[in-house]
Amino acid sequence: MEKIIFFTVVAVYVIAGIIVTRYVKNKDDFYVMGEKGSALLIVGTLAATYLSAVTLLGLAGIIYNEGPVAHAGLGSYGAWLGTLFAVIYVGRKLKALECQTLPDFFEKRFQNKWVTVIATSIMIIGLLGYGVVQLIGAGVILSEILNIPFPVLILLFTLALLIFSAMGGMYGVVITDTLMFFTMLTIAIVISPLIIGQAGLDQIKNLGEVIPGYYGINGAADRPFGWVFSQFLMWILFFGCTPSLVSRVFPAKNDFVILKTAVIGVFFAPLMQLLVFIAAAAMMVLQPGIDPADRVFIVGMMDYTPPALAGIGLAGLMASIMSTASTLFVLTGFALAKDLFENVLHKDFNEKKSMAIGRGAQVLVAAVVCIIAILRPSSIFWISIYAGSIFAVSWMPTIIGSLEWKRMSSKAATASMLAGITTFIVFGELKRHEIIIFPVGFDHFYLGIIVSVLTLLIVGFIAKPTDYELGYYKKIKETRLSAVTIQRILAKKNGAAELKREYKQTVTVAVSFVVISVVLWGYFIVKLGI
Amino acid sequence: MMNPGLWLLFGNAIATTVISAGIVMWILKKEYLPAIKKLEEEKDTPAKSIPDGITKEV
Repeated sequence: MEKIIFFTVVAVYVIAGIIVTRYVKNKDDFYVMGEKGSALLIVGTLAATYLSAVTLLGLAGIIYNEGPVAHAGLGSYGAWLGTLFAVIYVGRKLKALECQTLPDFFEKRFQNKWVTVIATSIMIIGLLGYGVVQLIGAGVILSEILNIPFPVLILLFTLALLIFSAMGGMYGVVITDTLMFFTMLTIAIVISPLIIGQAGLDQIKNLGEVIPGYYGINGAADRPFGWVFSQFLMWILFFGCTPSLVSRVFPAKNDFVILKTAVIGVFFAPLMQLLVFIAAAAMMVLQPGIDPADRVFIVGMMDYTPPALAGIGLAGLMASIMSTASTLFVLTGFALAKDLFENVLHKDFNEKKSMAIGRGAQVLVAAVVCIIAILRPSSIFWISIYAGSIFAVSWMPTIIGSLEWKRMSSKAATASMLAGITTFIVFGELKRHEIIIFPVGFDHFYLGIIVSVLTLLIVGFIAKPTDYELGYYKKIKETRLSAVTIQRILAKKNGAAELKREYKQTVTVAVSFVVISVVLWGYFIVKLGI
Repeated sequence: MMNPGLWLLFGNAIATTVISAGIVMWILKKEYLPAIKKLEEEKDTPAKSIPDGITKEV
């Protein structure tokens, strides 16, 4: 029963992906969905990309053993705020500058081959590390549950993803992401409450007394506060600039869509995570001792929900992996084709050839993924942290500096990115091999970010920005997405009425979701916190 | 038994929505409201130049 429902739902994703390819007619459709994305589609793709195997497998397993506060109290909070930052600040600003990809911004900001090559290379390594490896890790678990050989499952993953990304481009990814989002929502608002209900909120609350530190800030594993806080910093800095989230706003129809997404999409981030985390704690009540703990949510679905729901839940788990991975496929393919091949080599292709190169790049990415699959990484959570840290220490200071600092130059960007990533990797390895020992609570991640920021400031003060860089900085400060949106709406018939309607709708959305959030999370504070 | 850690966890979830809604309202007020007010003023200006009785009839 579970298998039938699982394969039916996955088939729906694939068929939808094939149908969508008919709408891809030119390069803009392929890269930014022709900028036609409604609030529903942008919220769907953002929320679907946000939720991944890291939450459903990695974090759920760790929280099952150690309690939710040490990992989600600050770590996930950082991810939520990072997502908000990615949408409302970085994404909105870059969309106003008409960027179609993130490295596009580096190319426009500095017109320097090295900055683009370094930024794009970091992006490819980080995205492969974060998404594709977690996909493979999850493949190991799903192959066991579904009794499908691991290589066959990886091949199926890859073929399905190619349909979304290589054929449909951003169009395919956004539409299928939104479909998958609804399956994932089933996990959060139907399956998780069912598991929580079976354990009982009183029993879940009681875990705080049974397992020392389970609801403490350091968790049952008594992690140092310095490490807990580094998780907050890592996730906020990683998600704040990660291309997989920032690029979600590029297909948006206008600024109002982005503003609504900033409220609704960001509300769904804690909704989808926290209910899963409480369900993971509920599993500690229902069935302690699950090993490996990465499987805890799958055990919960298979053993504590009806078979039909378990099938949808597995499809939702698959969706969380596929939606994140399809975005990563599409972005890595874009990075190879558009940012490295077309921009750096300054090749000017016609629409048809450009799309063909984009699709070819994604087939290449798919082939690489299959090869990596042979490595079979063990822990999804730790690999994602490593990949996330690479973005946080190298990209974030450069992006903020590029948007806000007049003295920012290509030399400062290059030096900061290289210094940050090198420090993080080298000192991480020295620590791992116990060649150096850091003070308790000090993580090599802190060192990476400090070195990256200091290098940016020092080189920025020494090296003078070029006239082009100063000119583009002026453009950044003068360009506003709101001005473009107002202009476009007023150009329409009854534009003034539409502008007022959009304004009122956005205010209503903001107020409504604050009320929903206070009622929902207030309920859990009363039931579990007091 | 009180679980202050869970206050932090769920409180941060509320804070996330409050912060996002607050920023969006601030952007609306700063970047859109002046344009909407200007449009309303432009709409009102010709009406005021017409005598009251005629405006009401129209």
